[in-house]
Amino acid sequence: MQRTTLQTLSLYAGLAVVCGVLLFPIYWLFVTALSTLAEIRQLPPSFWPAEPQWSTFAKVGTERPIFLWLWNSTLAALGSVALSMVVSVFAGYSLSRFSVKGGRSLGLFILTAKMLPATLLVIPLFGIFRSMGLIGSLWSLVLAHATLIIPFTTWMLKGYFDTIPRELEQAAMVDGCSPLGALFRVVLPVATPGLAATALYAFVLSWADYAYARTFLTNAQGSWTANLGITTMKGEYVTDWNEISAAAVFIALPIILIYLFLERYLVGGLTAGAEK
Amino acid sequence: MSLRFLDLARPSRQHWLGYLLLLPAVALVALIIVYPLFVSLDLSFQKIGMATLSAPRKPFTLENYHKLFASPDFWNSCWVTIKLVVVVSAACFAVGLGTALLVNNRFKGRTLARLFVALPWAVPEVIAVVIFAWIFDSSFGLMNWLFIKLGITSQMINWFSEPTAAFWVVAVTMIWKGYPFVSIMTLAGLQSIPEDFYNAAKVDGANAFQRFWYITIPVLMSVLGVTSVLVVLWVFRDFSIIKVLTDGGPLKATQTLSIMTYDQAFGFFNMGYASAIGIVTLVLCVVASLLMLGRKSQAMY
Amino acid sequence: MAGISIQNVYKDYGALNVLKEFSLEIADGEFVVLVGPSGCGKSTMLKILAGLEPASGGKIMIGDRDVTDLAPGDRDIAMVFQNYALYPHLTVGQNMGFGLKMRGMPKAEIDRRVRAAAKILAVDHLLDRRPKALSGGQRQRVALGRAIVREPRAFLMDEPLSNLDAKLRVHTRAEISALHKRIGVTTVYVTHDQIEAMTMADRVVIMRDGAIQQIADPDTLFAKPENLFVAGFIGSPGMNFLRARIEAGKLTLFGQTFNAAVGVGAGEIIVGIRPEHLALGPGDVTFTVKPTLVESLGSEKYVYFEPGEHAYRADARDEERGKGLIARIAHAGPIREGEELVLSFNASEVHLFDAKTEKAVN
Repeated sequence: MQRTTLQTLSLYAGLAVVCGVLLFPIYWLFVTALSTLAEIRQLPPSFWPAEPQWSTFAKVGTERPIFLWLWNSTLAALGSVALSMVVSVFAGYSLSRFSVKGGRSLGLFILTAKMLPATLLVIPLFGIFRSMGLIGSLWSLVLAHATLIIPFTTWMLKGYFDTIPRELEQAAMVDGCSPLGALFRVVLPVATPGLAATALYAFVLSWADYAYARTFLTNAQGSWTANLGITTMKGEYVTDWNEISAAAVFIALPIILIYLFLERYLVGGLTAGAEK
Repeated sequence: MSLRFLDLARPSRQHWLGYLLLLPAVALVALIIVYPLFVSLDLSFQKIGMATLSAPRKPFTLENYHKLFASPDFWNSCWVTIKLVVVVSAACFAVGLGTALLVNNRFKGRTLARLFVALPWAVPEVIAVVIFAWIFDSSFGLMNWLFIKLGITSQMINWFSEPTAAFWVVAVTMIWKGYPFVSIMTLAGLQSIPEDFYNAAKVDGANAFQRFWYITIPVLMSVLGVTSVLVVLWVFRDFSIIKVLTDGGPLKATQTLSIMTYDQAFGFFNMGYASAIGIVTLVLCVVASLLMLGRKSQAMY
Repeated sequence: MAGISIQNVYKDYGALNVLKEFSLEIADGEFVVLVGPSGCGKSTMLKILAGLEPASGGKIMIGDRDVTDLAPGDRDIAMVFQNYALYPHLTVGQNMGFGLKMRGMPKAEIDRRVRAAAKILAVDHLLDRRPKALSGGQRQRVALGRAIVREPRAFLMDEPLSNLDAKLRVHTRAEISALHKRIGVTTVYVTHDQIEAMTMADRVVIMRDGAIQQIADPDTLFAKPENLFVAGFIGSPGMNFLRARIEAGKLTLFGQTFNAAVGVGAGEIIVGIRPEHLALGPGDVTFTVKPTLVESLGSEKYVYFEPGEHAYRADARDEERGKGLIARIAHAGPIREGEELVLSFNASEVHLFDAKTEKAVN
């Protein structure tokens, strides 16, 4: 499309302004993390610290169990993603290939589960996990996060399997595979990009949880996830904003990095399932 | 003999695999979603404080529902929820659509722009809270400084102790977190429109605005329909942002139904009452989605 | 290698019957083509033969084994698909050897067979490539290779040429026929293209709406179609159909009266004349027409003319007839639209069909 230089310039200018405004909060987080307490507690604010305090990161990293928190978040995510993926891959494949009586109803129900407020489900889950002795354990999160993940991943995977031609499994069966064998030897290897995209999205979903972590783990400091841990750094009256910002950077970085490098897959998974 | 019976590759048995593969999903969903839902419903009909599953059931009562419909607190939460839904959804759409349209043009660095415009999606909600809690800090926050510099106010606003101000802090945070989703979905929709549609229109003499109105908008409508429901549902249900930012205050100015449900359950230990609120919220969510999509609800998913 | 016996096989999807009772005996080494328009049930029959779908009733034998409820992998068959169905994550060599590997054949034997098959199909230089690096024709040859490597009792082919472009189709068609002559395995081949059926088959099974219309070798199908549908389906351009009356044993067409075939009663009749049986100039039965359209193919011309009072329209599906009747004339000289033209045909080459049952009556 032909465009005048003026149009191109205004496009770039517009983009710069928009991106600048929208991404400013993230920039501000970094700036705050690198500032000294004195610099923070003054007006007008400085848009770049006089002397960036990289040591704040080290201080926060050692004084607070940030890495323990990150580790717990990762464990919970790995567990819930693994559980959800196994269940969703099978269910998504079944919904894609077979017209099972009641399959549609199950599928629809799983969809409506997307509408469930976590604050509703957390009440009975609390009771259930209490009687199972899971309160305070990361296993409670593995199960609870599955309730967040499965409604999304089942339909994302079904949508993805729909794009794989049935003839592949048919050829495999004529070649001597059982239907299950065809699934494992042919369909899953071909579906790997879709599986990866879905698993990544599930990981992000699990990592983002706060409600369940707060309810089930408050009294088990050793099991705190990142989201839970950082809220304890926000003081009732006084907060060391530079330290909490540094902690925030630690916690936000993994997901931001996943997003930046794998956005293609993440977004593909998001839109593929929803676009039908 | 029994092996032949289990041979799922045989034509007469092939459809068994469909059932078999659904079993794990059915089992898990039954255990962690269906069963808790029923427990929830059950709790809402009991006058119960702290729920213990092994304790004998309390008698059936509608007291919780009577209480909540008579409670000004509940109606306030409804009002706050609606206000938030409307404000945040509208703004997310404006910003999301705007950024998508902007980024949809062909220019160098477009992929990068697309990536960065949606970056807030990747920031965990709690972290977004940290960022905006600091920006809206009443003593040294950036926002106060900006407002005074631009002459909007002459005094520092106490963002977290003033009800209206607190509402806007929550709204802004949610908008920042919410618009990337709209942006991503809209962009996907825009990019699914084949170039040929626009070419044909250009040959027919349509100008830029006409092309936008007759081609872009109709395609966007279906995407926007789906997206709007998802955004509305998200605002309805959100817990993390409000809880950590304002905890429903000050004076319940930011207490949505979601927050009220949680506080009643784990703050005041009225689990029966809390479940009732939760059930009502769920019903409202379902009604809202159905209204927004009508018969197309199935197609949406 | 073995013959195939299909006995009273039918298929229902719930209340909908998609395949009516189908019976066919296929001799060992025969090349049978199932042909018909979309939705006629041919692909369903093939899938049932392959074991990819269960029959609602009936029996299938391959050789002397009852395979009706056997897994596809246990029937000793190989299949070639319309969109090749090559495993994208495996190399060509691995694709071809997959079935053998599933059966636990030793690696050395697999290699030997794969190489031999690859050589026959001229894909031996592609063994280490992935399917996505191949052209359509190459992919189809690999699919064929995957089938022959198994040395099965029967080949099943589901419209294998439909995804190829016209030139490649002609070429691959000849290759498949040559392959069959060379290896001689019983083959059941499904297509919607009657040209493929006519050129490749030992016998053709024409199907429509789930039912068999006629089973015969290509020449018989061409010369003695048993009903209107078969007559119109075989041959390109399709047979011309006209409405006429038989009175006192005589038929009148375009103003010319001649003896109808013996034993045909009086009344309404549908007449069929193949375009190639209409010749230029005077003959057995001669008439004149004014062409509405002349299509020249160089050595041949298709001359379109109006049927007038004899117009026959089967049903809404029959779009071809809308353009009028066609004469296929081998003539290099110019024929002009609107100018009177003399055509003729032999009374003996005319086909007659009952107006109600659409069955052939001569």
